Amino acid sequence: MGKTVDIIKEKRVVSQEVKDKIKSFNKIKKEILKCLEAGQKTIPQISAELNLPAETVTYNLMTLLKYNQIAVGEIDDMDEYYYYNLKQ
Amino acid sequence: MAYNYSNINDYDVLVIGGGIAGIEAALNLAYQGYKVILVEKDLSIGGKMIHLSKVFPTLDCAACITTPKVSETARHPNIKIYTYSEIKDIEKLGERYFTATLVQKPRYVTDACTGCQLCEEKCPVVVEDEYQWGLVGRKAAYIPFSIANPRIAAIDIENCTFCGLCEKVCAAGAIDFTQEEKRSTIVVKSIIIATGFNLFQSERLSYYGAGKFKNLLTSMQMERQLVPTRPYNNVLRPKDGKVPDRIAYVLCVGSRDKSLGNPICSQVCCMYSIKQAQLLMGALPMADVTIYYIDIRAFGKGFDEFYKQGVGMGVNFVKGKIANISEKENGDLILRYEDIDSGVLKEATHDLVVLSVGILTNPDFEKLFKTTPLLKDDYGYVRQVSELLSPSKTSIDGVFVAGTASGPMDIPDSILSAGAASTEASVYMKGGAS
Ligand SMILES: Cc1cc2nc3c(=O)[nH]c(=O)nc-3n(C[C@H](O)[C@H](O)[C@H](O)COP(=O)(O)OP(=O)(O)OC[C@H]3O[C@@H](n4cnc5c(N)ncnc54)[C@H](O)[C@@H]3O)c2cc1C
Ligand code: SF4
Ligand code: SF4
Repeated sequence: MGKTVDIIKEKRVVSQEVKDKIKSFNKIKKEILKCLEAGQKTIPQISAELNLPAETVTYNLMTLLKYNQIAVGEIDDMDEYYYYNLKQ
Repeated sequence: MAYNYSNINDYDVLVIGGGIAGIEAALNLAYQGYKVILVEKDLSIGGKMIHLSKVFPTLDCAACITTPKVSETARHPNIKIYTYSEIKDIEKLGERYFTATLVQKPRYVTDACTGCQLCEEKCPVVVEDEYQWGLVGRKAAYIPFSIANPRIAAIDIENCTFCGLCEKVCAAGAIDFTQEEKRSTIVVKSIIIATGFNLFQSERLSYYGAGKFKNLLTSMQMERQLVPTRPYNNVLRPKDGKVPDRIAYVLCVGSRDKSLGNPICSQVCCMYSIKQAQLLMGALPMADVTIYYIDIRAFGKGFDEFYKQGVGMGVNFVKGKIANISEKENGDLILRYEDIDSGVLKEATHDLVVLSVGILTNPDFEKLFKTTPLLKDDYGYVRQVSELLSPSKTSIDGVFVAGTASGPMDIPDSILSAGAASTEASVYMKGGAS
């Protein structure tokens, strides 16, 4: 099968918004994965370390969890926050 | 309009909408030997029910009930399903036929797709997953959800960068960016409108802070948090991933409010909130769950017992009207409410709040007909011209209504309504009363 993507590429342009979305996701993804290299962390810990709003960390971390790049660890001593690890 | 007369015998009935009402009506007619064309605008059939956790009052798993019915519909030799498709320009053709335009939108993936999800894994674009009500992301190449039917990927062309990775990795050669919208004319003898309902958009209520406060969910978002294919690893706060332990429900959001244009009761919100509260107490045994209500409408078989079961499990019921909601720095939410019995204004803090959003009409049916419009009732639903004697009859002979397209109702009533619509359509096609 030939590359049909070349045909559509000639007809449509990629919006700046889409380009920005990819850039932003890739940047946050890299930062979260790097942050977890040192060991498991909770969302507030990642948020504090990366200086990112906790809701941004939740959304992106859960997306990485969905796509199997993150694993869920134990819950903390207060039964409040889960720890997250890099997927082995 | 030019149409192909050879199509006349292709289908007997057009069912518009593949939710539980549409698939039930389609199956009933198919088993009677009628040829059915089922047109669904979404990428999968199953409607809202396929996304629910469990169902009240039996607490049966919604997916376990829906999936076999959906598969039966997809496999039935008398049913042809078109997903990601719409109907336009319906017109009466003589006394006993209708013509309509079928519009098939391109999903850029062919039936050769095996559902392997390799394209999804490789796609670099992440956007909000509408099937998880925005709680998590999805790719631009994606299988809509795990139990989607058909389980075929789609390309979200508006968010695609045309990097070609999906096409490169697809071993089945299923990605096809040359697909274009297809239009064809169909001819049928009868039509069933099963276009379902829309959910009230809580963002309209600025005093609740919906869309602004992250720990304010809609009931549909909570349904997703309660299913095994949930967006998170447990029921968690979107703001910071905390396990909530003081959860509140606000009932009647967007229902029974003339000023919002929806004066009627949504019929299911009380019961689905009590259902979710019970499921939450199972998922989070340490959590307190409070339901703020105006009245509890537990009118169906086993509903009052279900309510009492919630009380027995420790769900806290407060007869209170919420005036406004504000957010604390830690993401907790302060509910200011009028205690209805005492008339006193009170405040309570919760760490997660669920808005039990109401059911509204889906006005799509108004655009389906070319010359003679299908009439609506005072609340914007498809008008039932003989509500008591022939509840599925509409203002156009040969056109019937099933499920929530005619008004708010739960799943059993949607199925009953689909039974009535399919029976009336069958009688009509046999030359009986319209
Ligand atoms: C949060 C929540 C929880 C609930 N929990 C329960 C419960 O526990 N028990 C219970 O009994 N009920 C429950 N309900 C109610 C239940 O969801 C409805 O009764 C049921 O989904 C109605 O089915 P339907 O087929 O009429 O509509 P829908 O489920 O809305 O299906 C309509 C279908 O038509 C399609 N469609 C719309 N417009 C078009 C168009 N123009 N062309 C083609 N296709 C179109 C839609 O994409 C959809 O697939 C709940 C509802 C909510 C909101
Ligand atoms: S389109 Fe291809 S890669 Fe994507 S799920 Fe289907 S078969 Fe797999
Ligand atoms: S071509 Fe589009 S859909 Fe395919 S992988 Fe690239 S961005 Fe994703």
